[in-house]
Amino acid sequence: MRTSGVLAAVCALIVAGASAAAEGDLTLGVPTALGTIEGQDSLRSAQLAAQEINAAGGVEVGGKKRRLEIVSIDTREAEAGIPVFDALAAMEKLIAEKKPVAIVVGAFRSEVLLSAMDMIAKVKIPYLCTIGMSPDFEKKIAGDYEKYKYNFRLGLSAPYLVGNLGRMLEFVKKKHGADKVYFVHQDVAWAKGTVGGLSKAMAAGGWKVVGSDAYPTGARDFSPSLTKAKAAAAQVLVPVFDMPESGVLVKQVRSMKLPALVAGFISPAAPATAWATFSGEIDGLVNFLFEPGSIPLATPRSQHFTDAYAKAYGEATRAKLSGHGPGPSYDAVFVLADAIRRAGNTQAEAVVAALEKTDAEGAIGKIVFNKTHQVIYGEDPKQAAVSLAFQWRAGKRRLVYPESVAEGALELPGK
Amino acid sequence: MKVLIVSTLVYGLVQSATLMLTALGFSLTFGLSGVANFAHGGLYLLSGFLAWGLVNRLGFTFPLAAAATVLLVALLGAAVYRLVLRPVRGIVLSEVISTFALGVALVEGFRWRGFTTYDFSLPPLWPGEVEIAGVSLDMQRLGIVGAGLVLPLALWAFTHHTRVGLALRGMAQDESTALAMGIDSDWAATLSLSLGAALSAVAAVLLLPLGIISINTGYEVLLVALAVTVLGGLESTAGMMLGSLLIGFAVVITGNFVGPHLSEVVYLGALVLVLGLKPSGLLGRSKEIEERV
Repeated sequence: MRTSGVLAAVCALIVAGASAAAEGDLTLGVPTALGTIEGQDSLRSAQLAAQEINAAGGVEVGGKKRRLEIVSIDTREAEAGIPVFDALAAMEKLIAEKKPVAIVVGAFRSEVLLSAMDMIAKVKIPYLCTIGMSPDFEKKIAGDYEKYKYNFRLGLSAPYLVGNLGRMLEFVKKKHGADKVYFVHQDVAWAKGTVGGLSKAMAAGGWKVVGSDAYPTGARDFSPSLTKAKAAAAQVLVPVFDMPESGVLVKQVRSMKLPALVAGFISPAAPATAWATFSGEIDGLVNFLFEPGSIPLATPRSQHFTDAYAKAYGEATRAKLSGHGPGPSYDAVFVLADAIRRAGNTQAEAVVAALEKTDAEGAIGKIVFNKTHQVIYGEDPKQAAVSLAFQWRAGKRRLVYPESVAEGALELPGK
Repeated sequence: MKVLIVSTLVYGLVQSATLMLTALGFSLTFGLSGVANFAHGGLYLLSGFLAWGLVNRLGFTFPLAAAATVLLVALLGAAVYRLVLRPVRGIVLSEVISTFALGVALVEGFRWRGFTTYDFSLPPLWPGEVEIAGVSLDMQRLGIVGAGLVLPLALWAFTHHTRVGLALRGMAQDESTALAMGIDSDWAATLSLSLGAALSAVAAVLLLPLGIISINTGYEVLLVALAVTVLGGLESTAGMMLGSLLIGFAVVITGNFVGPHLSEVVYLGALVLVLGLKPSGLLGRSKEIEERV
């Protein structure tokens, strides 16, 4: 009896000790599609940032140093057949059980992101998303600031992608005289938004849009678009896909001998390992990296992220870094930690006010939020965050956009 | 316009052959043993990663890796019957649950082990391209069309003109009579599971070189196999072939003349329409027989 009483007391002390330790940590939630390469890389990047902050003593909150703890949940939202409410239920579970002080990385799909914003409006914690790209994110904040002010985005948004793609293709038009473009894209919100905006802008800029097709997620045959693009003598094919099956498109462009420049975003063609994966069939393809990370900027912060990632997870894992998510996810944790430090507490209102005043150098360039809480993207990493475009040439990813970081000019196929 | 019509014919055939190969293993197993092998997609995915591993980790040439994969997955199919299905043989719901659980375990196991990167790509068995009336087609797709024609014919010859094939059909048609004739029920079911698994591996090594191997393929393949088989008539291989042609051409015609975004609607619409008019599928007779009884 006596022994069991002592044991119970010891157990109670252990539990109390554990609770005290848990209370000391600041929990950050990562609810995202962990089955995707973007989701996995983003989680690793956020964990890396938390480890670095903890190694330096933690986050200073009101004079006390507190460690960061990352907790994650797989929302599975990128898988076919998973509805938005399932992804939201996973996020709700994480918030209810782990009680994070903030969310980083967040939704993978724009459809989930837009719905998650409403959940965040109820639970009132900062939400720093890095993957979902829909322009409606900013529209919602502009429409009801008080309700949606807890949401911030560090990743590239569809309107910025439209601007960057448009400027790069304008260069192709001026230098190479191309003026016929064909769009192929995934039938999801961010890709539709991107192509819709780009199509209008390019038509206004003198381009002839000879076709535009949407493919359901999981599509494996792109012959309809490639046949029509070839028949219409399209000089540029703009693909916008973040599904693994778009690897079929890369190979089919080559096998159907489409004599056009392929310039857009195909997620499987982004990593450094893609040349080997596609046995060199991607030579000449121009792909966007939505944010630096897979290829670092020539800035100390960006280089540090890439080196630290390779050290933490191995060079082979770093070489597979995706083109969307890792850089801003790493930065998001630092930006949040800095905002909590400046706020002096973890109260959402104070942290949001501090986040709005962010002015920092990150792995993706300079980090400043606009009035609708989107990090401003531009063409010079000293003045804004940047996204990069590279062209596959002889096994190497050569930066061709923006001009401030370009390693050479974009070349047309066969050159 | 001429190019678009030729392209529709060529890629309609490719799409049909793709569907046919995807569904053949599932259809054959069900037709011969009455087991709906819901691990079909998991076995397809496993075959892809196995072939990739043999090429990239053990240095096999791709043709050798493909042959070894088909053999190994055939053995696995037999093991699946012996270890997973035999204890629940005859209890249809348990058969479905246990094979479905195995399929999910395979797919999610790969996801858990990190097979989600974009690195997994298989080389084509037949490199190069051909030109057909102004339409470019790669040799791999041509090979897929060839396999889509040859394999069902070979299987028809096997099940109609060999002693083993006739024994399997006998078991499928009337198990009690087949047992009375000395045909071992377990042996027949093991063989049909093994053959079905081998065919899923054949489909994997032929189809996966067209793109990269992605985890979700495991689920998509099962759904396609189910749709095509149900459309054609569950127990009818000829119906499955007809269903593949119907869906294959419907998808490509929609893509070429309406828009690829509607191709899935058309294919699911065709499924609903056919089942509404003919509940047993195009060439299936189970519902009619049931009603007659």
